Amino acid sequence: MTTTTRIPAAPATAPDDPLAALTAPFDVQCESVSSQQGFYHVAPEQMVPLLRRVIEAEGGRLATVTGVDARDGTELIYHVCFDPRGFTANFRTLIPRSTDAMESITPWLPGAEFIEREIHDLLGVDFPGHPRMRRLILADDWPAGVYPLRRGFRKEHGQAQPPTRAPDPAPARVPEAVATPQDNGRTLLSIGPFHPLQEEPEHYQLLVEGEIVVDLDVRISYNHRGIEELSSRRTFDQVPYLVERVCGICSASHPLAYIRAVETLCGCEPPPRARYLRTIVCELERLHSHLLWVGLAGHFLGYNTVFMWAWRYREPVMDILERITGNRCTYANAKIGGCRRDVPDELLPEIERAAAAVRGPTEMLTKAVLDDPVLHARLKNVCVLSTADAQRWCVTGPTARGSGLPIDVRRDYPYEAYDQLDWQVITAPEGDVLAKAKVRLLETLESTRMIQQAARECPGGPIDAHVAEVPPGEAVGQVEAPRGETFHYVRSDGGRNPVRHKIRAPSFVNVPSFRAACIGQHIADVTIALAAVDPCYSCTERLFAARDAASGDTRYDGKHLLELSHQRTRWFERQLGVAPFDQRWARQFRERLA
Amino acid sequence: MNWKLWALKKSLFVYHANVGACNNCDIEIVELLTPRYDVERFGIVLVGSPRHADALLVTGICTRQAAPRLQELYRAAAQPCVVLCVGTCALGQGIFADAYHAGRPVDETIRAVDPNAIIAYVPGCPPKPEAMILGVVKVWSKLEELARGPAAAPRPTPAEVRPA
Repeated sequence: MTTTTRIPAAPATAPDDPLAALTAPFDVQCESVSSQQGFYHVAPEQMVPLLRRVIEAEGGRLATVTGVDARDGTELIYHVCFDPRGFTANFRTLIPRSTDAMESITPWLPGAEFIEREIHDLLGVDFPGHPRMRRLILADDWPAGVYPLRRGFRKEHGQAQPPTRAPDPAPARVPEAVATPQDNGRTLLSIGPFHPLQEEPEHYQLLVEGEIVVDLDVRISYNHRGIEELSSRRTFDQVPYLVERVCGICSASHPLAYIRAVETLCGCEPPPRARYLRTIVCELERLHSHLLWVGLAGHFLGYNTVFMWAWRYREPVMDILERITGNRCTYANAKIGGCRRDVPDELLPEIERAAAAVRGPTEMLTKAVLDDPVLHARLKNVCVLSTADAQRWCVTGPTARGSGLPIDVRRDYPYEAYDQLDWQVITAPEGDVLAKAKVRLLETLESTRMIQQAARECPGGPIDAHVAEVPPGEAVGQVEAPRGETFHYVRSDGGRNPVRHKIRAPSFVNVPSFRAACIGQHIADVTIALAAVDPCYSCTERLFAARDAASGDTRYDGKHLLELSHQRTRWFERQLGVAPFDQRWARQFRERLA
Repeated sequence: MNWKLWALKKSLFVYHANVGACNNCDIEIVELLTPRYDVERFGIVLVGSPRHADALLVTGICTRQAAPRLQELYRAAAQPCVVLCVGTCALGQGIFADAYHAGRPVDETIRAVDPNAIIAYVPGCPPKPEAMILGVVKVWSKLEELARGPAAAPRPTPAEVRPA
């Protein structure tokens, strides 16, 4: 990590500071402010009362916290989004190296749990009062006291111990982040690290009483690659290629969030055509991602027909993405200042036609899924995340909109061509799994319309504003990825590399909300509940055996858990006296064709 | 040994392990099961346990946290077991090669457990589904060759099974 430069403090409160009244009772200095974002300097002891005020009383949403290793301590930047106003406030404070501690906000804002644990891992900041301060994203064998985002860190420092342990004849051991069974009536169900729900291997531990989940813990790190640190060693133009590999399904959103941050920093506007082309790729990405989710959700419930059909209809989307960008998955279409490659004008009508062609099948899929009595029985009132919980856990995207929070970066912080298009934010107030499915399915239909309109109205002209250099400064960039808000913070010292690049993927705030949604639920519902927030997953069954904590007997493995979920669906079908889904589906399809 | 290899190639049961990938390879692997590519036509099935697997399909850079688990997966799989490294990350860690949390590359991690492991490589970021099918076909032809050959045929080296 290279050294950071202090941003010269602007004169006290700028005249147009939208938070002037809000921050007046506190010791807050406005450093810089623009129409969408502002940076404020706050005294360390004032930070927690200020955050409490802006989050609890003023409806601010904590996006993330960035830690930066500075010369004489650690800088913490709390990014608070005021979604209805479309304004992101960045409250900065410097905690001295002598204490390196900041009061935890997790006790009253559970959504900050992972955020604080991450900073503790990477920068060594202590958060007194944090209820579960354990290692989160560094490996079990990472040496204590080595912090990869501190200045002067080199890869060798982390390798004080050999990177892999010697082959061990014993079966997989239980990692440190383990919930202890209280008595014999409770069983510890271990899911993962290789398990059915997620692409990223993650280790879930469910403490169950009979069939009911009473506690839940998760250990990540299996997929931690250290992209933030790598990013500080890449040039500004190389970083998009790195961050599109944060997540393969959000590979248009992550680079775009970074690029938006850098463009804000440079004060540059991409040309109109570039904005439309970026919008088209982002919406195509949402289309394929939501169809992917619908298919996998169907698979978890034992409706493999939905899985196959949804993925079949997703193929034309992948084809058109390949036509536009040259690749099915990593697009590399956007660059700082515009787009890297133009789309030939004769391709635009084809994009429009492809989007229209997806809409028919998607409508059918939506109808088939939302009208299904068995799906209603399986998904309605299952794993409810209430609106208040959604706020407290700081969730974003369809997870928030399915809980009745009308937040969408595309509308709240208009970027690219979204303010030129006719579309609406889909919300559902119920907060259960069905509501989240509904939001995603209806968003798919919105996306097809947006792609059609964008392809039809795409203006001509240049696609690149030719940014020559990135001046010193800092900025944040937000993009609505298929899973929620992707948040990037970039700081430049005028050199070739970003000195700090913070990445907050949407799943990082959505995943911890399992704790609010899954406790008290049936084990057979957990597969779909864990899938409901659409964490990045694959659909292979990858689960180690779960053992009875007392006797060590194997109770469930991945297959059994999935079978349990399928059995519950079949049970509802019998109870409701309806034909198996596949037959109903085939009938609907025949009727549609007729 | 010959009959084992003969049986191995009959219907390849694949266990998919993501050890630090970005999802791209993984969604393309799931793509293989769905109607357009439909590898079940060839008897290729994704299974839920390494105990049932004939092949370990590995994606990702093999992070420090995942490396010992990958070795456990390999030990849990019935031998002989083919390891298919899919994607640039699994081949040589690609863009993440100098990341602080990267372990050793997948093939080195597997060879620490079994120096004679059969490892095939499918390059690409991500490889197209067709490339993955080609990789499996090449493994098949190699296994056929081995099954036909004398019992003492040496195990293939990575270079031999690497798609041209």
